[in-house]
This record gives sequence, structure tokens and C-alpha cells, in this order.
Amino acid sequence: MPKSTRAVLIPILAVAVVGLAVFFFLSDNRESIKKARPGAGPTAEEGTSPADSRPKRTVNLLFLRDESDALIPEAREIVADPSSPAFEAREILGELLKGSQSGLLSTVPPETKLIQVYITKDGTAYVDFSREFADRHPSGSNAEIATIYAVVDSLAYNLKSVKKVCLLVDGEERETLAGHIAINHPILPDFSMIAAD
Amino acid sequence: MAVWACRSRRKSGTACAVLLIAAILAAVPSAPAALRNIVIDPGHGGLDVGAKGKFGSHEKDVTLAVSLKLKTLIEKTMSCRVIMTRDKDFDVSLENRAAVANNNNAQLFISIHANGSVRNKAHGAETFFMNVNASDEETRKLAYLENTSGELDKRIPDEAQDEVKMILWDMAQTAYVRQSQRLAEMIQEEINAALKIENRGIKQAGFKVLQGVACPAVLVEIAFISNAEEERKLNDEYFQNHVAEALHRGLVRYLKLFPQK
Repeated sequence: MPKSTRAVLIPILAVAVVGLAVFFFLSDNRESIKKARPGAGPTAEEGTSPADSRPKRTVNLLFLRDESDALIPEAREIVADPSSPAFEAREILGELLKGSQSGLLSTVPPETKLIQVYITKDGTAYVDFSREFADRHPSGSNAEIATIYAVVDSLAYNLKSVKKVCLLVDGEERETLAGHIAINHPILPDFSMIAAD
Repeated sequence: MAVWACRSRRKSGTACAVLLIAAILAAVPSAPAALRNIVIDPGHGGLDVGAKGKFGSHEKDVTLAVSLKLKTLIEKTMSCRVIMTRDKDFDVSLENRAAVANNNNAQLFISIHANGSVRNKAHGAETFFMNVNASDEETRKLAYLENTSGELDKRIPDEAQDEVKMILWDMAQTAYVRQSQRLAEMIQEEINAALKIENRGIKQAGFKVLQGVACPAVLVEIAFISNAEEERKLNDEYFQNHVAEALHRGLVRYLKLFPQK
């Protein structure tokens, strides 16, 4: 092998070796990132992974069927925290906003976001929804009654400490939900709205 | 009064004069004794379109159409004055609708609406009266109001603060809930008979527009605008007349049973 050829081959081989090393290093890293994801999930996204070791409880969320006005309970697991009803209230409403998992109709506009929930000592839950809760509501007495009691009863049915519910829209009190039913007063639950088994 | 009159002749003379003037004043508005005031409230209006149908109908338009037909029927057949909270397509706040009834000394208040639901199958007519959605403590206060006379204004002491007046105004309907229920029953019976529809019955709900009304008051949902079949009916002149006639029969029956407020 002439000297000149060796002088060219050595740098090429060197570059190839470094390149391969970098390739394997990166591909290995990529794989390890992928592997790490499912493990990192439960800490990033609350209560969705079976690996989540926090205690759970089953609650009943209220939806509608096309056939009747009665609210239909759908069982769902939430992260339990008996010391904080407000935490559980947020979990319940968060799940309610996700909609039914069994094809029932949701009474809350799908764009709605939960801003905050507070529960006072006298058992009044203050629930603050984003403006879509009212502004994207289809309006109509029947639809408004369904929305109000799906929210109020879903809370009161699952949380003993909730006696009545104040609905706020983007931090403010509204006169009505969408032109009919008043929401400027605390609303008492009405369990007669829930379908009998 | 008698004891007080005996004490001073001069004072009793003044009292008699005051009573006489009061009697004359009281007599003047009641001179056309048969004339009763009925307030018809066509739901929504203006920018507030209410519930919407799939074919583009707005609740505000059908409520006005039926309300105007009911007004014509009442004026033709009854010795009543009809006051509309709106007779055209414009905005009226819910509080002002109640104020129209109270400021005109209404004997009856009927709010006309078309229903909307997320359920496509929802159909039929419903008549509502106000739901007194109150805690135990509030219920006691309301029971007091209901058991005393219906004239709220006279029970507000002069020195009462605006806030108290506002609360009483807000609860005015609570004094008339039982009469409102009777009115709702009669109207719903007539609607069911006329339309031969499934009886959805009378219901209670926290309608803002009814809260401040100081007379028997109901809200009628004549059909579901969210239901394609009923949306078509709501725009149909024949159906509108049919509903207006049923509402009219309900009002006539109620006023025969309860000639006075």
C-alpha cells in the first residue's frame, strides 16, 4: 500500500469510526428516552396510569341518554383524597368534562375548562368554569337544567361535604346559564333528576 | 283607631279626611273594575336569539309570533288589558320583564318560550312555575312571606335599605307559587288536549324571568326547537294559532276560578 493511499484511508476510517460511535450513541439514547416515557407518565399526568400508586375511589358522573331527561350515572375512578374534598371535586369535574366513556351525551359544552373549585365550611362549592361553559351553551330550558344538575348533582352525589353549588363563569357571577335558568344563587342538588335503577 | 279618634276630635277629623282621600284614590284605578292586566312575555329578542333550530329558526321569533296571536285572542274575547314586554324584535332584560308586570299591576304573567335540548329526541310542551331553590334558613323566611299578604311593597319598612328591597323583589314570586302552580296545571291541560301530545306535565325550575314577578306567573315551553320535526311545526301558522288558542283557554279557566289576584 503506497504511503499516499494510507494517508487518505486513515482519516476516512477515523471519521467512519467516530460517525458510527455517534450513531449508536444517539440511537441508544433515543431508545432509552422512549423507554423512559411510560415510566415518567404517571407523575406528569395525574391518575391515568395503572402504575399510579395513589389511592383511588369510584365516583358516579352524570350524563344523558337520548331517550329521557333523567341523568344517567357512569362510574369512573378518580384519585382519592379524603382530607381534601376540593381536590376530589376537581377530579370529579375534570372527568365530567372529558365526557362519557360509554356513549352517553355530555351536558357541558366540550370546549369548557375547569378553572378552580373551592368549598367553604358551610358546604358551598364554588365552581369556576371557563367562559365556554355559558357562551358555547346551546341555550334552551331543557339543556340548561340538564347542564346545571349534571354538575351540581355529580358533586353533591359523590361528596358528602357539598351541600350546594355556586356556578361561576370565568370568575364572575352570571344571571342565567344561557338565558333561562338563574345561576346567580347557590343551587341545591336535586337527586330526583337522576335516573332510578 | 277608634281609641285614638276618641282622644282628639280634631285629629279624628283629619284622619277622616285622609281616609276619604285615600278611598277616592283607591277608587279611581279600580273604576273599570272588570279590566284586568295580563302581561305576555315573548322570550328573548334582539341580540338574545335564545335556542336555535337545526334549520336556522330562532326561539325569539317563534315566541313573538305565538305571543302576538295570544294577545289578539285575549283582546277579542276577554275584558282584559294585555301588556307585552316586547312587541318587536328587541332586547329586554329579564329584570325589566318582571318590572313590566309589577309596574302595571298585572294579575297574570305568562312567558312564552321554545325549548332546546342536547337530546335530539326531546319533544313536547312543558309548563313551568318557579322553583323556590332555597336552603332551610331561606325556606323559613320564604314561608313567612308566603303566609303573610301578597303585597310585598307594603311590608318593606320605609327605612329599609335598598338591599332588603332588592332581596324582596328577587323573591316576589315566592308569595304566588301555589297560584302559579294552578295556572300552570290549567295551561298544560289545555295544551295536552289541543296538541294530543305526550304529557310532559308541569315542572318547577329556577327561571330568572319569573323570580321577581309579583303575581301568578308561568313559563310555557311550547315545543322543542332543537327537534327537527317540532322546529317545522313552530314555524307553522296553523300550529302557532292552535297553541295560542290552548293558552287562551287555560287563562280563561284560571281567571274564572280565581277572579281576583
